Amino acid sequence: MQVAAANAWYRASFKEWILTTDHKKIAILYGLTSLLFFTVAGLMGLVIRLELSAPGVQYLNPDQYNYLLTGHGAVMLLWWAIAFWGAFSNFLIPLMIGAKDVAFPRLNQLSYWFFFSASVMVLITLIPSQNIKMMWTGYPPFSLHDNAGPTALYVLIIILIAGSTLGTGVNFITTVLRMRAKGITFGNMNLVTHGLISSIVVQLVGVPAFVGAVIMLFLDKYIGTGFFSATTGGDPVMYQHLFWFYSHPAVYVMILPAFGVFSEVLSTMSQKPIFGRVSMIWAIWAIALLGFMVWAHHMFTSGMPDWLRIFMSFTTVLIGVPTGIKIFNWMGTLHKGAIKLNTAMLFTLGGIFMFLIGGLTGIPLALPAFDINVHDSAFVVGHFHYVLGMAMTLGAFSGVYYWYPKITGHMYSEFWGKLSFWLMLIGSNLLYFAMMMVGIDGLPRRYVDYPAIENWVSLNEAATYGAFILAAGVLCTFISWIRGFNGPLAGPNPWHSPSLEWTMQSPPPPHNFDHFPVEVADDWTPYRYK
Amino acid sequence: MQTLSMIWAAAASAVPVAYPADTWDQMYDIWILLAVVIYLIVAIPMLYFLFRYRYKEGVNEVGADEHGSMGIEILWTVIPLIIVIYLAVQGAAFYHKQRTPPPDAMVVKTEASMWAWQFTYDTGKSTYTELTVPVGKPVKLEMTSKDVIHAFHIPAAKTMEDAVPGRVTHLWFQFNETGEFPAFCREYCGTAHAYMRATIKVVSQDEFDQWVGNR
Repeated sequence: MQVAAANAWYRASFKEWILTTDHKKIAILYGLTSLLFFTVAGLMGLVIRLELSAPGVQYLNPDQYNYLLTGHGAVMLLWWAIAFWGAFSNFLIPLMIGAKDVAFPRLNQLSYWFFFSASVMVLITLIPSQNIKMMWTGYPPFSLHDNAGPTALYVLIIILIAGSTLGTGVNFITTVLRMRAKGITFGNMNLVTHGLISSIVVQLVGVPAFVGAVIMLFLDKYIGTGFFSATTGGDPVMYQHLFWFYSHPAVYVMILPAFGVFSEVLSTMSQKPIFGRVSMIWAIWAIALLGFMVWAHHMFTSGMPDWLRIFMSFTTVLIGVPTGIKIFNWMGTLHKGAIKLNTAMLFTLGGIFMFLIGGLTGIPLALPAFDINVHDSAFVVGHFHYVLGMAMTLGAFSGVYYWYPKITGHMYSEFWGKLSFWLMLIGSNLLYFAMMMVGIDGLPRRYVDYPAIENWVSLNEAATYGAFILAAGVLCTFISWIRGFNGPLAGPNPWHSPSLEWTMQSPPPPHNFDHFPVEVADDWTPYRYK
Repeated sequence: MQTLSMIWAAAASAVPVAYPADTWDQMYDIWILLAVVIYLIVAIPMLYFLFRYRYKEGVNEVGADEHGSMGIEILWTVIPLIIVIYLAVQGAAFYHKQRTPPPDAMVVKTEASMWAWQFTYDTGKSTYTELTVPVGKPVKLEMTSKDVIHAFHIPAAKTMEDAVPGRVTHLWFQFNETGEFPAFCREYCGTAHAYMRATIKVVSQDEFDQWVGNR
């Protein structure tokens, strides 16, 4: 234990942090950058909620509000819901497949610094004259208009992020294909590895379409081409197709790793194999594949042909089947388990319940007959905050709590963790359920001001209270993690998991495993407890 | 299934403030019923398992060595598949009604711009932000936009469609009561997006004819 602590990842000089190619240190860099931006975007969300707590314009002018909406959306999605999983991929995948590092450590380093450069660009948008006000979706012709702010900055940020994503993509896919320990196959690999790697595959396939779209946006605005401008023979709806071809699958980039975490934590904390493990693997990859066939459900009112809307409606509802399989199998995993309700487990259970509500409110949005009245309303915002906001965040927090003893060598604070869970669960349900109800009632999204309809006012007020309870919950999680640094020593395997990352000291030594090549038995799975 | 058709019958018999709101209401009723049932089917057993199968030192330290069940897994693949396909088929049928204006619909040309709505009638009469329509008469808006994308949503009729530059899109509705009803821009369009509203003024056919200058 003493030896391990001396070599711990956090005992490194500043120079070492800057120049590191160690997957564990890069994971920490991703994680801390991501948490910093999560906090910034969360504070933006609180200001938005304050503004909406009453009709009229209270604290912000419309342009500031539009900037905060753009910033909250773009940063939460790209820096939190996608990038935080970069920390998980980096820390866990090599440990779980029994590798020394990733396939291309220098490329991994480059990917992080691309991400870092994009982060600096995002901070530039905080300068008032550089406020981007085109929403994270950046639809033309609006994004070509001066009212939208500096489109070039948006394009540059997307390109830098894409550079990071593509580097990570080829790197981790190669790692998982080529560097698995003897005996580890796609059949017995950890479900969180499947979740992370499927999301990386989706990014590698989808991101080029998105980058293509924003480059055309750039050419339209600054060089005068006419891809998306109707006056020069282009079509603005084409941008939406290219944008959503990646940005819909992107929601699975955010949620599939959370599914993986749910499976790991449920199995370990129930000390029971995953129910229907093989169908869980098929379900992950089915979702990743189907995710590419449904993009136009974001465009049910965009003016595209009705037959295409109906076609995309059918493909979209099919996603309900593999996601249903996952939820039912998690339920089955709890059956006859030996369940410990610690913080990591509570966050996973909460995440599954939030996903269930998010899924059930997503089904009607797949039906154009329902979407026709709630498209671009607060209902949509409430729905995707259940899924991407809460299921993803609770999953990510659960993952940090679960692997916290492995990452730091110490135990987090259960008291602050549990307090955080209940505050987050109550706050987020108040916030997002009220949002969905006011959306059903007709409140459009992206409105700085709304008419003083009684129902709209009271629901918005309730939502704002919820937002502050949620924020208090997040703060408690940060306290739990910070206190954990001085917490009791965890030992190598505090949860009694047979998975490979728990076989070494905590925190893992620089070389990960003492003996290479790593080998597992023929009948090994990460979920065998008896 | 009988309950479902009873709900439809009840919803269909009531005349809504505006068509096609009744169709959306039927879709909503079917969904909310299914959603609540599915929620309970998942939530109740899960909460029961959490209560029933807790870790106890010396008594229940390791869970059962249970890996799955082919039968039950096929069941919870096939039943959801049937439910979602039913929803998509039912939704497509409803959508056809919501999208197809009755043949006698009155056409109003609608042009959006930052940040106002312009309505032009076939008599040549044209107004901004106020859309006057006769009660009991289906109306079809043929929409386009001068600058960026906007969208026209009528809460009372529960329908909307984008107004896109370079395209002509459409939606239809029919008010069954006179009065004034709001409409909202639903596609983000910049600084004054939240104020890009319109008022739909529903008047009697005589009043409308006089106003619009009909033959």
